[in-house]
Amino acid sequence: MAETKGVLSDDIRALIGVAAEKAEASLPWGVEREGLRIFTQAIMDPDPRYWDDAFARTTKFGGIVAPPIYCSYLDRKIAPGSDDPVTRAFQEDPECDGIGGVKESVDRPGALPPVPTELKRILNGGNEIEVYKYPRLGDRIFSQARYADIKARQTKDGSEMLVITTETTYTNQDDEVLCILRASIIRR
Amino acid sequence: MVTAEDLRNRTQTYYDDVEVGNEMPPLVIGPITPTHIFRWSAAIENWHRIHYDQSYAVYHEGLPNILAQGSWKQSILPRYLKDLCLPDGWAWKVSFQHRAMIVPGDTITVWAAATGKYEKEGLGFIDLDVGMRLQSDIETCPGKATIVLPIRGGRPVPYPFVAPAAK
Repeated sequence: MAETKGVLSDDIRALIGVAAEKAEASLPWGVEREGLRIFTQAIMDPDPRYWDDAFARTTKFGGIVAPPIYCSYLDRKIAPGSDDPVTRAFQEDPECDGIGGVKESVDRPGALPPVPTELKRILNGGNEIEVYKYPRLGDRIFSQARYADIKARQTKDGSEMLVITTETTYTNQDDEVLCILRASIIRR
Repeated sequence: MVTAEDLRNRTQTYYDDVEVGNEMPPLVIGPITPTHIFRWSAAIENWHRIHYDQSYAVYHEGLPNILAQGSWKQSILPRYLKDLCLPDGWAWKVSFQHRAMIVPGDTITVWAAATGKYEKEGLGFIDLDVGMRLQSDIETCPGKATIVLPIRGGRPVPYPFVAPAAK
C-alpha cells in the first residue's frame, strides 16, 4: 500500500495523540458471573478458572477471573434505563448497517472524538494486545483511549483509505493495568 | 476439543522444553455455524448486520455469507495462548492482522510456532508466529506473539505480570 495524504486532512492529523477521558467501561456492578459465562462460552473456552470457585481459589489468581480481552467489550453494553441506540438507529435509517448509526447515536463518556472523514466503510485492520493482570469477579473496569496513529494509504485499486490506530488501556478500581489493546481500523 | 478437565490438569510447559522451530499443539475449532457467529454477536452486543443478517451480508454488502467477527478472532488467539501457558506461564502479548474471511462451514486451526527464545530477568520468553488457518490452508489471521514460561529451577513468572525492563 502506498502512502498518500489526500484523505489525511490537518483536522485528522491533529487527532494523533489525543486522549479521551478515563471512564468506567463496566456497568456499575462490575465484572459479573453471568456475563462472564456468556462470553467464555462464545469463545468456547471451558476453563474452570472462569467458573469453578473452589478450583480458581487454588490457582495463582486466588479466585474466579475473566479473560483480559473481556474488558474491551464491557463498554458496548447498553445500561438499563438508557436510551436504546439500536431502535433509534433503525428508526433514523431502516437500512442502517447495525454498527455505524448505532455507535454514533451513543454519547459515551470516554469516547474519542470522531474522525472527520467522509470515508464510511469500516474494516478491522489488526489488533495488538498486551496482558498484565486478569479481571476478577466484582472488579470495576476503567478504560482510557487515545489515537496512537492515523495514516493515509492508497490501495492497489487506487482508492484512498485511512488506517486509524487507537490504544486503549484498561485498569481496575485499584488503577492496576489489566491489558492494553491497540486496534487498527480501516476507513475507506 | 479442549475440556475443562484438560485445563484443570494441564501440565506446565517449561522454557527448556521449547526449541526454535517447534510447533505448539494446535486448537481446532469448527465447523463454524451461523449460530456460533450469532452467539458471539449477542455476547458482546455487536449489532453489525454482516454477522447475522444473511440477506444484508450477501445482497447489500456483496459478501459470500455472514462473517465471523474480527473481535471473535481477537478473543480466540489470546485464549489459545493462555492454554499453552497454563498453569503458571503467561501469554504476554499478541498482534495479528485480519486477512481472509471466516464463514459458516469453515473449520479453523489455531496454531503457533516458536521463532525465537531468550532469557531475561530469570524468565523464559518464547516468540511465536501465530495464526488461524482455514481447512483450505488459507491463513485468516497471521500474527506474532510472545509468551513467558518458567525456567526449570528458576523463579516463578510474576503475577500480575511485570514486563522486563527495555534494553
